[in-house]
Amino acid sequence: MNRATKLRPSTSEMNYFPDEVIEHIFDFVASHRDRNSISLVNKSWHKIERYSRRQVFIGNCYAISPERLIRRFPCLRSLTLKGKPHFADFNLVPHEWGGFLHPWIDALAKGRVKLEELRLKRMVVSDESLELLSRSFVGFKSLVLVSCDGFTTDGLASIAANCRNLRELDLQENEIDDHRGQWLNCFPDTCTTLVSLNFACLKGEINLSALERLVARSPNLKSLKVNRAVPLDALARLMSCCASQLVDLGVGCYENNEPEPESFAKLLFAIAKCTSLRSLSGFSEVGQLCLTAFIPISANLTSLNLSYAAEIQGNHLIKFVHFCKRLQRLWILDSIGDKGLEVVASSCKELQELRVFPSDLHDEEDNNNTAVTEVGLVAISAGCPKLHSILYFCKQMTNAALITVAKNCPNFIRFRLCILEPNKPDHITSQSLDEGFGAIVQACKGLRRLSVSGLLTDKVFLYIGMYAEQLEMLSIAFAGDTDKGMLDVLNGCKKLRKLEIRDSPFGNAALLADVGKYETMRSLWMSSCEVTLGGCKRLARNAPWLNVEIINENESGRMERNEEDEREKVDRLYLYRTVVGTRKDAPPCVTIL
Amino acid sequence: MENSNSYSPYSSSSVDSTKPSPSESSVNLSLSLTFPSTSSQRETSQDWPPIKPRLRDTLKGLRLRQRGYHRALFVKVYMEGVPIGRKLDLSTFSSYESLLENLSHMFDTSVICGKRDIKHHVLTYQDKDGDWMMVGDIPWDMFLETVRRLKITRPERC
Repeated sequence: MNRATKLRPSTSEMNYFPDEVIEHIFDFVASHRDRNSISLVNKSWHKIERYSRRQVFIGNCYAISPERLIRRFPCLRSLTLKGKPHFADFNLVPHEWGGFLHPWIDALAKGRVKLEELRLKRMVVSDESLELLSRSFVGFKSLVLVSCDGFTTDGLASIAANCRNLRELDLQENEIDDHRGQWLNCFPDTCTTLVSLNFACLKGEINLSALERLVARSPNLKSLKVNRAVPLDALARLMSCCASQLVDLGVGCYENNEPEPESFAKLLFAIAKCTSLRSLSGFSEVGQLCLTAFIPISANLTSLNLSYAAEIQGNHLIKFVHFCKRLQRLWILDSIGDKGLEVVASSCKELQELRVFPSDLHDEEDNNNTAVTEVGLVAISAGCPKLHSILYFCKQMTNAALITVAKNCPNFIRFRLCILEPNKPDHITSQSLDEGFGAIVQACKGLRRLSVSGLLTDKVFLYIGMYAEQLEMLSIAFAGDTDKGMLDVLNGCKKLRKLEIRDSPFGNAALLADVGKYETMRSLWMSSCEVTLGGCKRLARNAPWLNVEIINENESGRMERNEEDEREKVDRLYLYRTVVGTRKDAPPCVTIL
Repeated sequence: MENSNSYSPYSSSSVDSTKPSPSESSVNLSLSLTFPSTSSQRETSQDWPPIKPRLRDTLKGLRLRQRGYHRALFVKVYMEGVPIGRKLDLSTFSSYESLLENLSHMFDTSVICGKRDIKHHVLTYQDKDGDWMMVGDIPWDMFLETVRRLKITRPERC
């Protein structure tokens, strides 16, 4: 215990133990927030924490620079980076806005960081970055890319070829230029470490025999999600290889609804062996016969994602879901209908998370009555006591329903309601939906994420500011009357981290009222609102620690011609706190004030 | 399918005089969104409802298959001055308007057809005879039958 006796008086209170012991204790603290708190206790703990930190989460890649990250955490093994703002998912952010991975890989490689895991969301990834990544980190194990773009299957080939210890390659919802893959061939014969392989978002053909050989030599493979280029008989063969160890399966595409009897029999046989299967997804361009093929193992499923199963009729969806008694997570299209949701409510008592997506964007099926309404939502809230997260796209809603839902489910952590028609009122009373959402925020004391829609006045924001004490992320579209709405939110929601607003009448008064608030938040997005260039400039002047970005429609360049007109409304505003100042990689359509 | 003789670049079935004119809609992609009045003929916008691109594409494809379009129709698209082109599946669009909106988005510039303009890029196509033509003169369905490739030109050339 020599170290203990050498401690300085100021730290003797905190450090009874040698550094190694403290570090060992810190190992049990996994959450990023807790580790951040630990590092603030004193200098000694800060230092110990720094060197022992293995996982780092960066919610905004422009809030910090890679060099500073590596200086602080030289021993990091796992990095999560997020780039573009959330509304980039809905085409509101230009493709070249930013969020480039390359500087990070470059710095990590130069800093000789022993990177093992990289998880990216909405970043621009290039084939060069992937190649550099694959060559720079010997122990690299896991690559997860969510909603990224900028790369091709050539980049995947580098990863396959060079990452000797690759365990996980998980591609979710990325825009990948498909050069019609021989990338699967690039996994060396010696590669036997794969645990998870997901290429469902790839649009092109793949080398089926290469895939089969890869799966055959991966005894640890637990998660396999294939793309639409894997036909029925190939899928059956793949599944037979690893049926007993498969936990998570994503199914590809079948050309028609009448598969060959022999292939289908093989599939059924393989499915019967999938005793460990808990999660099922895919089914794009697949008919219902193939879904019903999975009924034998449906009772084991905890997670089901049928949000791409656009070809399967509602009644078949209902029939399948009825058997999923242990389901905890369900993502489905609204073609299941209110009737289907009632079946879910009575069958899936373990349900925790539900997402219901729209299946018809054109209002043509209006008379068809297969979409979901407030009836389905109320049924779910009444039938599923463990429900805590919901994303619900629907054509209509009422205050009465929302009030009932709030009473039934006070445990919501995430509540996202999207009424497809902007500004739609309560369809029975024709009133705004302020009271309904007000009931939600009042009852759900643990609510962390909220998206509102329908006809809403400033009143709903008064409620949100008053009651949503734990709210961290709020999404607003086509709502509110005056600046007071936005002000109530900014003043009331103490834990607010991300605020994103579109097409709402909030302007400079709300934007500028409390500049210091933005230091407590990760970011603010405002598009098609009432803020002007002058207001944004004033904000940028008063808050040098913020990056205030204006994104223009006009491709011809920065806003020189508008310099004189400060009253000009800003099309898209994105601001975020940062410790590294203005970024240098912004494209011409982005002006940083 | 109408084929009007008056100056109207679109001959698709959902022509609506209250909709924004081509140049307006291609400059401001969210224009249709600031008018939440629901015209049932309003073409889908790229940014509402808030769903991810993959789901949007899936639903587009579904709708077209339901309406009887089975075949994908990939054509090459070049922007004048840019050597590397893109490929686009025209069968996922139902009108000139949605095609223009998508192209404007894909190339991050405003793309229009028909009207000569100093500021905007104009869309042309090569038909099955090999001739280069202005997009927009013939009905959409007929266009799909004859188009072989697309080129986004600088206005002066037209």
